[in-house]
Amino acid sequence: MSEFFDTETPTQNLDEDTFDQGVDLHLWRKLLGYALNYPADVIMLSICAIVTAISEIAFPLITRQVIDKISEQGAAIDIMHYGSLYLIFVVVLATSVAGFIWFGGRIRTQVSYDIRQDGFKNLQQLSFSYYDFRPVGWLMARMTSDCERLSNILAWGLLDIIWCSTMILGITAAMIYMNTKLALIILAVLPFLAVLSIFFQRHIIKSARKVRKTNSKITGYFNESIMGVKTTKAFVQEQNNLSQFSHLTGAMYHASVLNRVQAALYLPLVLILGAIAAGLALVFGGMEVIWGTITAGTLIAFLTYSRHFFEPIEELARWFAEMQMAQASAERILGLIDAKPAISDSTLVTTNIRTHERHLECPAFAASASTAALDGLPLTISRIEFRQVCFSYPNGPRVLDNINLTIQRGDTIAIVGTSGGGKTSLINLLCRFYEPSAGNILLDNIDYRNRSLSWLQSNLGMVLQTSHIFRGSILDNIRYGNLSANTTEIKMAARRAGADIFIQQMEYGYSTEVGEGGAKLSAGEKQLISIARAILANPQILILDEATSSIDLMTEETIQHGLAELFQNRISLVIAHRLSTVRNANTILVVEKGKIVQRGNHTQLLKMGGRYQQLYQQQNASQTTQQEKLWVSA
Amino acid sequence: MTDHSNTQLLWTLTKGFRSTYAAAIGAMATGYLCLFSAPMLAKFSIDAIIEGDNFSPPMWLTRLIHWLPIKAESDIFPYLIAISISTLLLTLLSGLCLFLRGRFVAIASEGITRLFRDRLFNHLEHLPSSFHDSADTGDLVQRCTSDLENVRIFMASQVMEIARVSLIVLLVLPILFTLDANMAWLSLLSLPLLLLSSIAFFQRVKSRFLLVDQAEACMTSILQENLTGIRVVKAYARQDFEIEKFSSANADFRDQNTRLLGLIGIFYGFSDLICLTQIGILLLAGSLWVIAGSLTIGTLFAFLTYESIIIWPIRHLGRVLTDSGKAIVSIDRLSELLLEPRESELQISSPEALAPKRLQGGIVIEQLTFGYQPNNPVLENLSLNLDAGQTLAILGGPGSGKSTLCLLLMRLYDYPKGSITLGGEELSSLDRKHVRSQISIVPQEPFLYATSILNNIKIGNLHADQQAVEKAARQANIHSAIMSFPMGYHTIVGERGMTLSGGQRQRLALARALLKSPPVIILDDALSAVDTQTEASILDALKENCRRLNQTTLIIAHRLSTVMHADKIIVLNKGKIAQSGNHESLANQPGIYQKLCEIQAIPSFQSYPPQLAVGS
Repeated sequence: MSEFFDTETPTQNLDEDTFDQGVDLHLWRKLLGYALNYPADVIMLSICAIVTAISEIAFPLITRQVIDKISEQGAAIDIMHYGSLYLIFVVVLATSVAGFIWFGGRIRTQVSYDIRQDGFKNLQQLSFSYYDFRPVGWLMARMTSDCERLSNILAWGLLDIIWCSTMILGITAAMIYMNTKLALIILAVLPFLAVLSIFFQRHIIKSARKVRKTNSKITGYFNESIMGVKTTKAFVQEQNNLSQFSHLTGAMYHASVLNRVQAALYLPLVLILGAIAAGLALVFGGMEVIWGTITAGTLIAFLTYSRHFFEPIEELARWFAEMQMAQASAERILGLIDAKPAISDSTLVTTNIRTHERHLECPAFAASASTAALDGLPLTISRIEFRQVCFSYPNGPRVLDNINLTIQRGDTIAIVGTSGGGKTSLINLLCRFYEPSAGNILLDNIDYRNRSLSWLQSNLGMVLQTSHIFRGSILDNIRYGNLSANTTEIKMAARRAGADIFIQQMEYGYSTEVGEGGAKLSAGEKQLISIARAILANPQILILDEATSSIDLMTEETIQHGLAELFQNRISLVIAHRLSTVRNANTILVVEKGKIVQRGNHTQLLKMGGRYQQLYQQQNASQTTQQEKLWVSA
Repeated sequence: MTDHSNTQLLWTLTKGFRSTYAAAIGAMATGYLCLFSAPMLAKFSIDAIIEGDNFSPPMWLTRLIHWLPIKAESDIFPYLIAISISTLLLTLLSGLCLFLRGRFVAIASEGITRLFRDRLFNHLEHLPSSFHDSADTGDLVQRCTSDLENVRIFMASQVMEIARVSLIVLLVLPILFTLDANMAWLSLLSLPLLLLSSIAFFQRVKSRFLLVDQAEACMTSILQENLTGIRVVKAYARQDFEIEKFSSANADFRDQNTRLLGLIGIFYGFSDLICLTQIGILLLAGSLWVIAGSLTIGTLFAFLTYESIIIWPIRHLGRVLTDSGKAIVSIDRLSELLLEPRESELQISSPEALAPKRLQGGIVIEQLTFGYQPNNPVLENLSLNLDAGQTLAILGGPGSGKSTLCLLLMRLYDYPKGSITLGGEELSSLDRKHVRSQISIVPQEPFLYATSILNNIKIGNLHADQQAVEKAARQANIHSAIMSFPMGYHTIVGERGMTLSGGQRQRLALARALLKSPPVIILDDALSAVDTQTEASILDALKENCRRLNQTTLIIAHRLSTVMHADKIIVLNKGKIAQSGNHESLANQPGIYQKLCEIQAIPSFQSYPPQLAVGS
């Protein structure tokens, strides 16, 4: 069925892994910093790795001595001596193995915790413009799989690199110490092994990534098919979806088989190289034994070492390939952690905040300082002024053009107009989610760029069209508006929002768990909860952005009183398509194509004619005759 | 679920791949047989070197030397060459076998997984809506991914690992006992202890693994929720609260993981101690026997090598068995899902073999009663008559049964009482897919697939050309918005794509529904996020469609401007029709509809004389 489908769409390259670059040391040094925050663990891990390698090298040497002793005809052997020597190394090895898993595990989990924590904290600070171009799924992948992958490299990769190097150096040294000539013969196999390993590990890891990527697509597809099952059924897409899905599982099959076959090819090749090394050791070493230049014990030690040599080289090649592959992950997550928020407090504001903190500590100023906001300026907002404000999104066309607007405390401003006219952008600017490209927004005559960002935003109350409901109880969701509110206050807010009735009808009332994303609530119910949340927050600036669009008229009518009360004593902005919602505003702004084309109250605007009247008529149109009759009868 | 049917499911799954598995096991057996001969050869060479002239070679070795063109410098040299060459040959052969094993297992296990995946997907798509309503999305996705992955690993590695250990034991034990019975008994000394402690340990930490998984899931869901709700977090300046919430979940995940890794460290340390002690005992006891003359050094070497071949897989066996246990649980969960009856199996009356022809759009509903729970009806005794080409508007508060009525029309649920006919055909006598192909629905919160806008619209009609798609988009008033995106119709939407506003999503879904151009179209509060002017032009386009295609339209809405032009308006209240008529008749009769009219418009006339409001 895929031939009916759009194939021109380019695939997104947001998370492509590449081998194009070598290992970027700067990047890894920076990441290593995360591990080095725990110097004691890193040192212990290194010690354990080295001790493990040395003990592993020691065993064949002990065996060699024992065999040499017993191959001398008729010699007695001091079992106690070798037994205790052997036992000491066994205990040392077992302890260091437990130790490196323990310390490696600590580093691994601690580092992934730290990276994630840094990422999360920064994500909370980043401005909306950062989120505009990065889907939630993409961010999730950075914070979960990328984090795990890097912390694995930092712990187990570090461990293996130390262990492997010690093993390779140690075995080489032991072999040269026993017999240089034989050592060189066996070492000759090494370059082949290294080349083979690097080649295969690269391809194996590459195909493994492809498997993982296809797998995440399959997961996404499953997710989509379950979420959209009604749409699929309504459009009878079952067969079509299945055939697309089979494409994906087919790709998964081929990628997985390729990956497994590569691994299946690599292992025997290593075995054969090992057999060659052992064969060389046997032929040349065997002759040396006959000639008496080396003992039988030495030959056996060589045979053992020629087998042990392979694992560290395989491992090193694997980690090298993994580091190259993971470089893209490292760049992405460090990019996320280092991203600077496009909007943050200016130096002036941070100095003000610091001065204010000092004042609070100093008894002479404390009294006056405690009535000020955290940047030392007035706590209350009694006037907001837009002065010649223009705005465009990065690389986008102009969305707002020369907006002038003054709002006083106690005012309710309604914004109406066609979709895409700039209503929501106006709100985004007011909340300082974005800043004007030109012009100023003043809070009581102070440019808001000179006020603390978090102070402004903690004075906002917002209800959006698509209300976000957190997992948890209804009570918790309303409490989000004011974390210190008690149950009585929460119920009061719910009553004023008109949410009380449906909440009471639910099986567990306010303690009802709403499920992920509020799945158990209808769109209208979610909006009512969001309104209750805003009421509880008691903000200085209240914004309702299409907040009642999913609420039926009767319910909206019942909450009008609550809303009217809510609008008192603060600055309120309402965006709505339903004119019945905006009628009572002090000022109605008609925003079209980034400009305020009309302003005034409902009566004035209707008298004025023009855009507002047009909108109004569209909603009421032929109703008037009946309404007149009704009106007369009422 | 009984274990019996689980095994049966597993067995049916392997259909078509059983011979591949058999070949894999055969290749593995041959491969290991070759591989395990290598230490024997090394034994011969060591014995030859040490014993020199006393060495009595086995027959095959003498013959092999005879064939080889070696000029002997000493008596031993030909032996060494011959042994090295035969070791290499054996390794080559075993390498080939092991490669074949890997390839066969990959083909078999991945092939089974692929079929299983397709089967699950197909099954999910065909499960009834009532199943999907009560099922948790996260749980279903987890079954289809992690549980399936457990089964895959079981098929790919655990089955083979168990076969491998059995093979090793079967092949190595006879060799050991042929070489030296005393040494053989000694080399088995610690194996039961090792095996038992390994099984016991991994059984014990199973719950730990579960705790880690839970902690991770908890951390991930907090993260997900924070990122999707970042606007709310910022609007209430709740960053610190969120960081605190996340930190504790993040720390919990870290601590659970650290604890688990710590336990694993202790186990590996402990089992290393057992394994190495075992090898040490063998070495020292063997040495004494060598001195006593009852054992050759070559045999001692062979024992040391065989011991390390046998001991590490046995240590690993606990892990393998525990993971197999996990796979069994997963198969349980999956077969539970596969046993859920499909929609087509739930047919109430038998489907008459009807050619899926286009029906007329007339709808007659009689005495319809329906509830999600048997004694809690959502719709009660509903009767309604709508001619083809008519528009019906449905009004009503939350829970009045508006959306349920749409779902029943789509046959997403079955109605036990009453009747619904579409174009004169009783719905329950038609094939579900046939019914659905006759109706387009635009829901309030439409679902968009994670693909391009073009593909999303084409869901309505896969065979439509670009022109038809654009026409539908124009009718739904979304064409110009689409063209303003840099990628136009190829813009990706959905989870990994561009974020559309609520109104844009609704209009996109409308375009999709229009492209299908079916006899019946349903708008389920589908214009709530669209501004009035845009709405007016959409309604005009719909009206024009109605006329042209004789399309029946059902509109659910809250705004009067949306509903008042309908031919017929019904007001639903608690599952019953409270009022029905057209705008004129309803506005003039006291009741809910009249009240709605008052709420929406009348108060505004209080401030000035009505004639001004006419806008003349």
